[in-house]
Amino acid sequence: MDLVARCRAGDVDAFETLYRENAARLYTLACRMAGSPEDGEDLLQEIFLQAYRKLGSFKGDASIGTWLYRLALNHCLDYVRSRRAKMNKLTETLDAETSIEPTARRETPIARMDLERAVERLPEGCREAFVLHDVEGFDHKEVADLLGIAEGTSKSQVFKARMKLRGFLRGR
Amino acid sequence: MRLISALLLTALAAARPALAQDEPHRVVVRDVVRGVTHGAKSGAYQGRDRGSEQTDRFSRKVKLGRDGRVSIGNISGNIAITGGSGDEVTIDAVKRTRGDQGQLANVRIVVDDRPGRVDVRTEYDSGRSRNNNVSVDYTVTVPTGASVEAKSVSGNVKVTGVRGAVRTESVSGDVTTVDTPKVEAAKSVSGNVMLSGIQNDGELSATSVSGTVTAKGVKTHALDLGSVSGDLLVSDVTCDRLTAKSVSGGFEYSGAIARGGSYDVNLHSGTVRFVLANPPGFELTANTFSGNIRSDWPLTIGGDRDRDPDANRRRGASNRSMRATYGDGSATLTVHTFSGDIVIAKR
Amino acid sequence: MHPNEDALNAFADGSLTAGEAAEIERHLGACVSCRQLVDDLREILGATADLDPLEPPVRVWPRIERAIRLEQEHAARPVGAEVVAASAATGDRGAAAAGRYRSLRWLAAAAALVLASAVGIRYAPWRQSAAPASQTAAAGGAEIAAGDAAQSVESELRQAEAHYENAIKGLEQIANAEQNALDPRTAATLQKNLAVIDQAISESRAAVRSQPANEPAQQSLIENFKTKIALLQDTVALINEMRKGNEAGAARIVSSLKEKGE
Repeated sequence: MDLVARCRAGDVDAFETLYRENAARLYTLACRMAGSPEDGEDLLQEIFLQAYRKLGSFKGDASIGTWLYRLALNHCLDYVRSRRAKMNKLTETLDAETSIEPTARRETPIARMDLERAVERLPEGCREAFVLHDVEGFDHKEVADLLGIAEGTSKSQVFKARMKLRGFLRGR
Repeated sequence: MRLISALLLTALAAARPALAQDEPHRVVVRDVVRGVTHGAKSGAYQGRDRGSEQTDRFSRKVKLGRDGRVSIGNISGNIAITGGSGDEVTIDAVKRTRGDQGQLANVRIVVDDRPGRVDVRTEYDSGRSRNNNVSVDYTVTVPTGASVEAKSVSGNVKVTGVRGAVRTESVSGDVTTVDTPKVEAAKSVSGNVMLSGIQNDGELSATSVSGTVTAKGVKTHALDLGSVSGDLLVSDVTCDRLTAKSVSGGFEYSGAIARGGSYDVNLHSGTVRFVLANPPGFELTANTFSGNIRSDWPLTIGGDRDRDPDANRRRGASNRSMRATYGDGSATLTVHTFSGDIVIAKR
Repeated sequence: MHPNEDALNAFADGSLTAGEAAEIERHLGACVSCRQLVDDLREILGATADLDPLEPPVRVWPRIERAIRLEQEHAARPVGAEVVAASAATGDRGAAAAGRYRSLRWLAAAAALVLASAVGIRYAPWRQSAAPASQTAAAGGAEIAAGDAAQSVESELRQAEAHYENAIKGLEQIANAEQNALDPRTAATLQKNLAVIDQAISESRAAVRSQPANEPAQQSLIENFKTKIALLQDTVALINEMRKGNEAGAARIVSSLKEKGE
C-alpha cells in the first residue's frame, strides 16, 4: 500500500511518516506568515489535524506534498486575515516612515538568524506579502489573488517589507 | 491442555515461513495459566497482609531477527529489558498476588508474534484492573539492535544496552535507561526519569510531571525536557536545539551549546542554570519578572540590534529584561522565568 | 531627483524592463546613497533566498498523534455498540452496559474537547508591543498611540484569559468526573501538580494586575495557562487509556461469552 493509502486507512505510523517528510516546510511557512514560532507551532498542529481529517478528499491529481502545502497556505491565510482585522488599528498607528538616507555600511554579511528574526518583526500586511513573494516565490499577481489585494498593493507591500528589513538589519 | 498448546505452537511455527510471504499475519499465542502455584514467599513480601505471596512464572522465547520491534505493555509491575546477542526475544514474567491464588488466572500475558515484531502485554480479565491484586514483573532480553517500546502503569521501567530506537513510559514508576543510545522518548507522571549514555542524531524527549528528569552523557540533535514540579538536570550534554519547561522545578544544563543552536527555557519559580565550558558566541534573551540575571561570561548588553538604550525603558520593561551577546552571538539562548533566577555560569 | 523606492526595489529584483533598468543604472553610477540601497536590497534578497527551513519542536508530533488517536476512537463507536448489545443480551449486566455506554459518550466529548484545546489560543502581547525602536512618529502621537496600545493589550489579555479559562473548565470537568479511572496515587499527583500550576497562575496574574505593561508578567501568565491546559489534556488522555484497557478487557469477555453461546 502506498503511504497516502495507508494514512487514509488510519495507519498512524504512516501519518507520522507524512508528518516527518513535510512538517519542516509547513512549519517554516506558518512561522513566517504568522510572525512567531509559537503561533507557527499552533498552526502546524492544526494544519496536520486538518490534513488528517481531509485526506479523504485528496484526489491524487497533485503530489501529497503539494496538497499539504496548499492546505497549510490556506490555513495560514485564514489566520492572517482573521488577525488583521483586530490588529490593523494598532500597527497603522505605530508605523514609521522610512526614507532613503545614507547609512553606515554593514560590516558583516546578514546572518540567517538575524534575517529570520527581522522577518518575524515585520508588521502584519507587508510580512505576508513578503513571505509569499520573496520567500515562497509567488509572483505579484498570485500574491494579490492569495491575499485578496490589488497587484499594485502586493508590490508596494513587498517593497515596504524590504525597506523595513533593511532598517532592522542596519548596523550589522 | 498444555500438550495441545504445544502442538498448536509447533504447527504455527511450521506454518510461519509460508505465512511470512503474505501480508503480515497475526499469530496470537495466548498463554492461559493453569494455576500452578509456587507458593513461595518472596522476601519483599514477607509477613505482609494476607499471608504468603502467590506467584506464577511465564517463560517464552520468540525469534525476532536482529533489528525487529519489541513492545511490552504492563499495568502493574516492573519491566526490565536488556539488549543481548542473538536474534531471540526472551520473555520471563512473574505474576504475583497477595490475594488468593485463583486470581492469577485472571491475568494473562499475551504475546503477539508477527514478522519483524513481538508485542507483549498484560491483560486483566475483569473490567476493573485496578481492583485486581495481581502484578506482573517482566524480565526481557531482546536482540541488541531491536527497537523497543515499553510501558507500565504502576511499575518501573528499565532498559539497558539496547541499540535500536527506544520509547518508554510509566505513570507512577521510574523510567531508567542505561547505555541505550537511541532513546527518543522517556516519560513518567509521578516517577523520575533517569537517562544516561544517549547518542542519537534525532530527538530526545524526557518528561515527568512531579518527578525529576536527569540525563547524563547526552548527545542529540533536539532535546525536549519537561516537568511541572520536578527538576530538569542534564550534564555532559551536547545538542543543537533545546526546549525545557517546568513550573516549580529548576533547570540545569551543564555541557556544550552548538554554533547556531537554539536553546529555549521557560520556568516559573525555579532557577535556570547553564554551565558552559567553552561556548561559541551566543545571544541571550533573558527576561524575568522578579528573578535575577547573572552571567560569568562577558556580555555586551543590547547586542547589535537594540542600539537605542532608552528602548527598554520606553517599552515599560523593567531592567530584568535583557538582550545581550557573548562573542559572535551565533547561538541563541532564550530564557524566561517569573521569579526564578537566570544564571549563565562558567565551568 | 532620486528614483523612488519602488523603482529601486524593482530594479534590485530584476523586474524592470531593459530600458528602465538602464536608466536607473545610470543614476546609480553617480549616486552613492541609491547605490547603497540597491546593494542592501540585493543582499537581503540573496539572504532571503538562502533561508533554511525551520524545525518544528519535538513536542508537536506527539500532540498531533494523540489528537488523531482520540478521534479514531471517537469514530470507532460501532464496536462499543456491539459491546452494549451483547452485554444487554446477557441480561444481568444492564448496569455495567449502561456504564460502558456512558463512558463511550464521554470519550467522544473528551476527544472533541482535547482537540479543541489543541488549537492554540494565540496571544502574545509582549511580541506585539515589541515594535521596532526606530519609531519616528511625533512625540505626542507616540504617547497617545502607546496609551491606546496598552489599553488594547490589556483588554486582549483579558479576552485570552477568558478563553483559556473556558478550555480549562471543560477539561477539568472531564478530569474530575472520571478520576476513579486512575489509581489514587496518580490522581493525587495530578491534583497536586495542578495546584502547583494554579499557584503559579495566581502569582503571575497578580503581577500583571499590578504592572499591566510588564512583559515578563504577561508572558508568565499565558505560559502558565498553557501548562495547565497541557496537564489537563495529559490527564484526560491518560484516563482515556485506562478506560481503553478496561474496555478491551470487557470486550474480550463479551466476545468469548458469545463464542460459547451464552
